[in-house]
Amino acid sequence: MSHTQDTTNGPVAASDAATSPAPVDAAEAEQRRKAVRSRTGKARFAGFLEAYALLVLLGVIALFFCFWSETSSTFPTVANMRILLASQAVIGVISLGALLPLLCQEFDLSVGNIAGLSAIMVAASVSSNGSVLVAVALALAIGLVVGGANALIVTRLHVNGVITTLGMSTILAGIILQRTGGLAPASDIPQAMTNFGTGLVAGVPVIFVTLLVIAAITYFVLNHTSLGRQIYAVGSNMEAAKLVGLRTDGLRAATFVVGALLCALGGLLYVSRAGGASPNVGVTFLLPAFAAAFLSAASVRPGRFNVWGTIIAVYFLAVLNNGLSLAGVEPYVNDYVNGGALIAGVALASVLYRRRTT
Amino acid sequence: MNEQTATEPTRAEQARKVALAVQDVSKTYGATRALDGVSLEVTTGAIHGLMGGNGSGKSTLIKMLAGVVTPDEGKLALKGDWIDARSHTPARAKASGLHFVHQQNSTFPDLTVAENLALGRGFESTAVRSINWSAQKARARQVLDRFEIDVAADTHLVRLSPAAQMMVAIARALQDQDDTDERGVLVLDEPTASLPKHEVDVLLTALRRYAADGQTIIYVSHRLEEVTAITDEVTVLRNGNVASRLIGTEISHDTLVAGITGSTSGTHAGGSRRANDAIASRVHLSHAAGFRETALTLSRRTASGLEGESLLLRAGEIVGIAGLLGSGRSRLLKQIFGAVPRDDFEVTVRSGTVPSSDMRTAMKRGVAFVPENRLREAALPELSIAENLSITSLSEHSRAGWIRPSRERKAANRLIQEFGVRAPSTIAPLTALSGGNQQKVILARWLQRRPDVLLLDEPTQGVDIGARNEIHELVRAAASAGTAVLVVSSDFGELAALAQRAVVISGGEIVDSVGGPLTEDILNDIVYAQEKAL
Repeated sequence: MSHTQDTTNGPVAASDAATSPAPVDAAEAEQRRKAVRSRTGKARFAGFLEAYALLVLLGVIALFFCFWSETSSTFPTVANMRILLASQAVIGVISLGALLPLLCQEFDLSVGNIAGLSAIMVAASVSSNGSVLVAVALALAIGLVVGGANALIVTRLHVNGVITTLGMSTILAGIILQRTGGLAPASDIPQAMTNFGTGLVAGVPVIFVTLLVIAAITYFVLNHTSLGRQIYAVGSNMEAAKLVGLRTDGLRAATFVVGALLCALGGLLYVSRAGGASPNVGVTFLLPAFAAAFLSAASVRPGRFNVWGTIIAVYFLAVLNNGLSLAGVEPYVNDYVNGGALIAGVALASVLYRRRTT
Repeated sequence: MNEQTATEPTRAEQARKVALAVQDVSKTYGATRALDGVSLEVTTGAIHGLMGGNGSGKSTLIKMLAGVVTPDEGKLALKGDWIDARSHTPARAKASGLHFVHQQNSTFPDLTVAENLALGRGFESTAVRSINWSAQKARARQVLDRFEIDVAADTHLVRLSPAAQMMVAIARALQDQDDTDERGVLVLDEPTASLPKHEVDVLLTALRRYAADGQTIIYVSHRLEEVTAITDEVTVLRNGNVASRLIGTEISHDTLVAGITGSTSGTHAGGSRRANDAIASRVHLSHAAGFRETALTLSRRTASGLEGESLLLRAGEIVGIAGLLGSGRSRLLKQIFGAVPRDDFEVTVRSGTVPSSDMRTAMKRGVAFVPENRLREAALPELSIAENLSITSLSEHSRAGWIRPSRERKAANRLIQEFGVRAPSTIAPLTALSGGNQQKVILARWLQRRPDVLLLDEPTQGVDIGARNEIHELVRAAASAGTAVLVVSSDFGELAALAQRAVVISGGEIVDSVGGPLTEDILNDIVYAQEKAL
């Protein structure tokens, strides 16, 4: 295909001007290349700033709380850091569970209550028979069943995902209420499990390391496998994905199921860390998890929902909330922060998306 | 009204009442002269046909009348007052009584007839400003009576026949006209394109009735039969010029074809003779392509089994599908690929049969499909160029499901060079590219698979002329490498440039075929001849 010989091999195109179809093209290409080169330095810095703005902001806020008189004695302590890292690990895993369907442009509003149901079932199970293995199996089974049901309803019955998971979430809340009567069940969590939830490895909470491992696996699957690429393709343009032969329904279903499994796992981690489960814990997971998943599109890979962006966002919100609580602000302020962050995240993501694509 | 229509408005105005006149309107897009000094007069109370092949300037003229396209020069008279056509706006079009009804229904299928009518003009409201439904319905019934549409006001539009839906759309556009001199002009743009045959008659009868009642109508259509049946006068455009003006008995299939295709003989028989010649000269498919091996066959399925091939493509051949709007040309490609189910014909390629509705198997069997609407059906906008390229070949770039980035990147760099994609880098998002370069990426996405059969739907839509030629070269290169190409284009010039031969499609069926060498005129002749035969 000689006619396509063009721009990219500069010297050849330039010296070969006599035979190349239009010498003007070569000159034009040269100019364009120069323009690109002079732009890259600045562009790279701007790109870096855009990608890691949230991380930088996280650092700035953390520094602020280190030196602010209200929090300088309580925030920058090893104990507080450990609490921060460990307590947010659960939210982190659940926000990855929310992230997966979001990649296919599907909302899973049941993430919080899947984790909540998993938590109270796991707590009840280990309290009665003491087997951690059974508890793990139970958590995974809950994720599989609920996620599978969501997936089938969305892909087979073609019910809108928001409606499906809103309904599912409400049903799960009903099940939780039925099982607990609205009260935290007395629980007797085995030592092995609570050790995991509160233990340290090299001074870092085990549960935080667990989050990093899960995030790393999710990251590699999404960014380095064919499966992950296909999921991003579905999220980018479902019709086009179909017409290049992707199993779009299967892929969407998979994100619902794996997302639910992660949420159930989050419930399990919660029990190991809190040493029990309360019936309304699910509700408190939903918003921060969603806020973090949405904010992910504003960092690391701007305009695209992504794993490390999600983790950064989780800790960004956590540091903000933690510092404010330590400063003694009223608890409702945290609601303002989380709600505002969700909206800001969506707004930022859509601005960045438009910048990237237009 | 026997005298020849004159170009000077003054003379014409003396003879009859002119509802709408256009004088010396020109419009240039880049290097294309879409309209080149077009003049037009529409007699009050007449049905005025506006015809022309693809690229004749027909739709530019309509858009100009609607005020959507601003011409470079020209004058325009609505209700007798001449204005500079450049100052025409959509608001002005509306104010001066121009009503447009497009083929794409602007109606709302899930709402009732009454609601649809009200959305055109506002609802009847009660004292507290809520909608007065009984008044609304009564008014709708009045409108339906006036336009003699036999449907109930509270029926949901989706339940009506396509012709009735079109009539509701027309009634909605015209409902505010009184039975006075103030009547405007109704412009119908391909109103029958999506109507089944028997429904067309229902609509045409209604239109005749409205015209008899004094309504001026501009009827844009490519269907000769309809135009000869209902119009009183016709303007035919060709290459941005008025090719002919016909009145009354001058309007016939032959004169229309002569105008559309530009047959130079000037006699009424010219058009059809050429069409006949072209049909006579068609070559037997299997012989035309010589001895290369068969790449694709379509066989009609009947009660008694499979009938002979209705289409046969050989390796290395480029075959065009020529058809008018609504002929089912895009659908045919989708059916072959499996994106739309089919049950009346079987598709066979070199490596076996291609089952219905199974795109994955079609791909495995070596079929590739570049859809018509790049934005909606092909682009993965925020994914990178490399990712857009590799999406059809992920297994090539991965081992045990893990993508190997270096391989993917190398392949992407090779492809953008090979296909002449002008891209800053392969990691830039697809949307960073121009339309033409995006289309090259989509083409490369499929051609890297070295398909046996490439299905191309409008391969250069929304692409500038330079990129268009490059894309044509790429398609030819693929064909000479052994891919059989089946290409659909509404631009017959493109078909003539690309394809060695063509089949004609009408009503979803392959009805004719033309051997090469193809020209735009031959294709127009054959396609319009087919319209008459139906």
